[in-house]
Amino acid sequence: MEGSSVFLLCLTASSGVPLYCRSKRSSRQLTFSVIGSLNGVHMFANNQDVLLTSTRTENSRVLWRTFHESINLIVMSCDSNASDHSLNRLLENVFSTMVLVIGLDDLMNIKNVERLKKDLRACYKLIDSFLTESEKIGDLTQCVDCVISNDSVILQECLDGFTQAAESEFGCLLIGGKVVVATEKWWRLASLDAMLLCWLVSSLSPHSSRDYPVYLPQGSPTVPHRLLTFQLVPGVDVCILCGPSPSLQKVELELVERFWKPVLDPVKSCLRLQLRSFPISLNLHQGILGFLLINRDLNKSLYTVQVHPFEDTQRSDIKCILEHRRASLRSFYTLTMLRYFSPEHHDGKIQYEEAFPEGFTHQAHQCYVVSSSHKCYATKTDLHFLFLLFKTNVPTFSMRAIANKTMQVFTKEFNF
Amino acid sequence: MERDRTTHEEEEDDGGGDWGSRSSSYTDCSSCCSSDLEPEWLESVQRNGELFYLELSEEEEETLLNSQGVNHVRFCENEAEMISGDVKKDKKTEPRFKKLAKILKNKHLGKKGSTRINSQARPTSILKHQPSQKTGMIVHQQYKDICLYVNPNRLLEIGPNEKLNLLQALIGIVHQSSRTSKLMERQGKCDAVHKWTSNEKLVIHGLIPESPAARSRQILIGDTLIAVNDVEVNAENIERVLSCIPGPMQVKLTFETSVYDAQIQPPRLNDEAQPSMNHLTKLIWGEEHASHLRVVQTIPHIAMYLTLRLESDTLKEEQEILYRYPVSEASQKLKNIRGLFLTLSDMLQNVSGSRIVSSSLILNKQLVHVSYWKESDRLFLISVPAERVSLLHLKNMTADLVRTIKFMYSSLDRAFCQAENVPRLDHFFSLVFQQAVRLSILNANPGHGPHYYDASSAHIVENLPGVRWLSLPEDVKMEIDTVLSDLEALDFAELSEDYYEMRRLYMILGTCLFYKGYLLANHLPKEDLLDIALYCRHYCLMSLASERIGQLVIWREVYPSFHLEKCGTPSKEEYSEPEARYFLLIVGMKHFMLCTLLEAGGCTSKAMGTPGPDYVYVDQLRATLLQLELLDASIEERLNASPNPCLSCADWFLPSAKDRFQSVVNSVMLNKTQTPKKTNFSLSRKSMTADSPSSLRTRRPSPSRSSRGSDHGSDGVMENTNITSHSTPELSRKIGRRESQGSGGSEGSGGSGSALKISKKRYTLPNPFNLGSLRRNLSEREAEDLYNTVKITSGTENTLFHYIYLETIQGVFIAPTHRDVEELGGSIHPQVIKNFHRCCMSIRSLFQQTLMEEKQSPSKADTCRDFTGLGPVKEHGILFECAPENWTDQKKTPPTMSYWAIGRLFLHPQPQEFYVCFHDSVTEVAVELAFKLSFGMPL
Repeated sequence: MEGSSVFLLCLTASSGVPLYCRSKRSSRQLTFSVIGSLNGVHMFANNQDVLLTSTRTENSRVLWRTFHESINLIVMSCDSNASDHSLNRLLENVFSTMVLVIGLDDLMNIKNVERLKKDLRACYKLIDSFLTESEKIGDLTQCVDCVISNDSVILQECLDGFTQAAESEFGCLLIGGKVVVATEKWWRLASLDAMLLCWLVSSLSPHSSRDYPVYLPQGSPTVPHRLLTFQLVPGVDVCILCGPSPSLQKVELELVERFWKPVLDPVKSCLRLQLRSFPISLNLHQGILGFLLINRDLNKSLYTVQVHPFEDTQRSDIKCILEHRRASLRSFYTLTMLRYFSPEHHDGKIQYEEAFPEGFTHQAHQCYVVSSSHKCYATKTDLHFLFLLFKTNVPTFSMRAIANKTMQVFTKEFNF
Repeated sequence: MERDRTTHEEEEDDGGGDWGSRSSSYTDCSSCCSSDLEPEWLESVQRNGELFYLELSEEEEETLLNSQGVNHVRFCENEAEMISGDVKKDKKTEPRFKKLAKILKNKHLGKKGSTRINSQARPTSILKHQPSQKTGMIVHQQYKDICLYVNPNRLLEIGPNEKLNLLQALIGIVHQSSRTSKLMERQGKCDAVHKWTSNEKLVIHGLIPESPAARSRQILIGDTLIAVNDVEVNAENIERVLSCIPGPMQVKLTFETSVYDAQIQPPRLNDEAQPSMNHLTKLIWGEEHASHLRVVQTIPHIAMYLTLRLESDTLKEEQEILYRYPVSEASQKLKNIRGLFLTLSDMLQNVSGSRIVSSSLILNKQLVHVSYWKESDRLFLISVPAERVSLLHLKNMTADLVRTIKFMYSSLDRAFCQAENVPRLDHFFSLVFQQAVRLSILNANPGHGPHYYDASSAHIVENLPGVRWLSLPEDVKMEIDTVLSDLEALDFAELSEDYYEMRRLYMILGTCLFYKGYLLANHLPKEDLLDIALYCRHYCLMSLASERIGQLVIWREVYPSFHLEKCGTPSKEEYSEPEARYFLLIVGMKHFMLCTLLEAGGCTSKAMGTPGPDYVYVDQLRATLLQLELLDASIEERLNASPNPCLSCADWFLPSAKDRFQSVVNSVMLNKTQTPKKTNFSLSRKSMTADSPSSLRTRRPSPSRSSRGSDHGSDGVMENTNITSHSTPELSRKIGRRESQGSGGSEGSGGSGSALKISKKRYTLPNPFNLGSLRRNLSEREAEDLYNTVKITSGTENTLFHYIYLETIQGVFIAPTHRDVEELGGSIHPQVIKNFHRCCMSIRSLFQQTLMEEKQSPSKADTCRDFTGLGPVKEHGILFECAPENWTDQKKTPPTMSYWAIGRLFLHPQPQEFYVCFHDSVTEVAVELAFKLSFGMPL
């Protein structure tokens, strides 16, 4: 098995029939016997009244999850960056994707396996986008990735008007799957639902307009809604979530032009934000390579590993460097959240992972790591989490001050 | 061969194998004490030569006796009414309450081809002729009568709301009916021969502390009470029978002991370990152990040794299980899914090409971790619920267990696959599980005292590749080293080879000396030291030694990996280890424990068979201990000296009801807002002085101050102690005088300088192992001397709460002593310490990863695909915030106190790990400076 390959298996829980198998960075598939044994041990344990959740070897991890006693998901990862936490999130996201596209009813009562297999093909693109790490981090945080625009006031006004005209309350403006602005109601969607919708739009091939039926895994897993998307300029889409009316044609012909034509320039300027996630005009400390800021209340996040884009473009191995930064920040996020910053709330849900922070009698507020490739710093306030990735030449003692300042900039000046 | 078998059978016929001797050994040792010639542990030596003899100290016994209060109980034991007309044992001796000798029975390790029985195979001692074992004395005991003094007028009370029945209140026996007892039955506690069809048997599930039953020390959990004053009793009629006791009197209780009848049961003696283990744990943890035992029984846990290779022709049930512990209902489910463990370990190895490490399961809505150790086609696994043992800890724990098992039995296969090891391993694992549960219980309830400190630090400290080290003044250290070297030379008359004109039996490879669980001196290679320390830890000897040992003698053959591995590989080096056998001899006395690793077969005569302890060696070790005991006072003095680097209690940084703390807080607040250098050191010192007079205790200055830098840093540290203990404001005048005195020698002023510096930098720990650092710092210190002397009057803040420093060359770590922690007290402080240690565990897991990567690819090719997550972590810190408990003032928000837990890893020249916990108000620059200074690195 090659290093860093990931296999995702989906089977029916009752009969163990494979529904699909997706993989990342692997030239070959798992053999049928391996798939059979992986599912077999889980079923065997289940029969003995034991739920097998995870196993790790020195270089790989396997996780099992059963959803609604009808779908088994198994992930096997040889990626050294993976953690039980990230893989658990992956499985949750994958199942939610299936609900989003097919609806919970069809997944819980499987009548025709072949039919289901065919239906599930519609999920592949979104599932694959979860497997291949990208410029977004919503898969790990289950928050909505955002960008901050200088023109957000104008865009917000425009979006509010547009959404209202389209008889909906849920609307948002996306660039590459990241939210520029969204209506107030949109922020009140379950964070998983909102995240999935953004990822869905960015995973689908570009279309000028689209009318896509979606089930909201948290909000309405059995009743579909309509997701209307309109491409304003390539890379920028506006979406609304609505009921049976209005028709796609009506909105496309009557409303899109009317509302968005006047603000085309600000919309285009958003494209420049895609990688950096915040305006060029804002200067952060030179030592910061990347950061992740999470608003715990609205479940939105700001994420970038290219804080100083001009510096980076000159380097030849930029792709590799960025990937390394992403991996570091993700690992740091997982480490911090899992070990120190207590998990949000687990209301009666089964604990699939050890709750390490529960062993602490005091609350952890800040945390840092110095490794030979990067330095990382995390800080927690009542409303935000901030994770920073630094160059190694930044003095360790100065990280705290920089973190506080960065937090101030985004929370006070941009009201994130 | 013939004779060997006969003795073996004889033993079986004696009834229930040697386990029967457990209860009789109390009485036996009383008889042997009458003769001065034979050491009292002689009786406890086992067939395979092994010995585990433990005796309480006199004081301990007295406290036990005193605690009995008015109830003067006469103990007497009428032994043995044998069923099936066996030999009647008529020994009617006063049971020696004092002697709690324990035998951990073990049969010999299967020397194939040995045609001699043990008493012959044992090489004769040079001095005395060793008497053969009195196998005839070992009698299987089915029933035992115990007389207790009970007083119905003085019923035991536990709590106002808990009503006890008579069985509990009068005698102190806890019996839980039905469900629990079924569980016990499954474990085979109840004799299969006697099926009590009518009523539920009175199986003893627990003993109430301070009750007559508990005090008798002869009633064991798992025994069954069958008669009171010859009246047959069961769960139904017991209360009635007991209520007939009119007044204070002696009653005779007849118990059916948990000894197996060997003829009926297969020789799987799982439960036999339990009683003997109860003694050890009871001894160490007091009466708490009963409650631990109860908890242990309910949680799902298992240790198993499985084989992947099955012989197809013998299709037996459960043949893949080579060993498992425990056999209880709670572990049943884990046993049932053993196929899963085997399949996973095999399949994942094929698919991923790496060994299986761990699994997580959800069992009864509880997250349970399984940790594996795979060797060829055998799989060892251990499983404990996540809430008891964190996965981070469990992984390390498994590695440690495997190491100890290999140390004791040479290989896992040899340990688990030989039937005679089973009871011994049962005992071993029940200790392991009990320790784990005990730690989690203690950890859940922050408290005070050394136990709590032990528990909170155990998760990290137990897995450090090091032993807790106590630095000593140079002169004391030298004395110890001399005494140990003398012993190691084996040059005393009786042992010299000329004396008897024959080769000596053993050569001493090295010794290490523990005092109250601290390592004082080590003359062993690091790996051996770690092996021995792990062995001691797993058998709870460390915690035992910190309290009370009357006499401890342990002897067993061991397989130190360090020597055996070297021996196995034909090396090109000039020296290769001889093919030899190794023996571990531990002799303990009071707080001292002297561990010796002996070699037989190198330059000494070859060991034949399974030799028992030779008492020339034991006596010699004991003599050495007696000699060392003279140093007791100076070691105690060191322990009582105020901690260095000095520590603060977290509570001082929070306001409390007491006014005198107010000022401290103010200054801290001031501190945080303004200059962190202007501080409350003097205040905190003052409060410390008020709290603990001990901080005023002084240590006599060590006469020899070597500029060698002292290999173990004793002088640097000790000198500091000397001065810091004076550095309370009231005594600042004294300091000045000392200063002038010390100016004569550069070391003197150097020492004082470093002390002052320490108080300034709060947690500078002079690198005790780096010669360069001390020397280098000397000049710096001198330069800053004046500055510091001025500084001390105004005082400087001390914000260090705790630290651990691990040094891997010597295999030792330094942390504040138990007494240091105890003296600080506080209500928040224990929590701070607990969190700190938990953080250390997490930080260390990252370091372990770094170390592993370092090992795998020392010259890291910086390719694009090679990165892993965070990369090699060198430093990791976490900031905690806490508020005082019971904050009553509703109007104000409670003040908060923040503290850091930081770990640093130094890879070069040798891996060193340093963990500190300090208050947030330390300036960042000071942190940097301190880290660098402490490791003697250029600024």
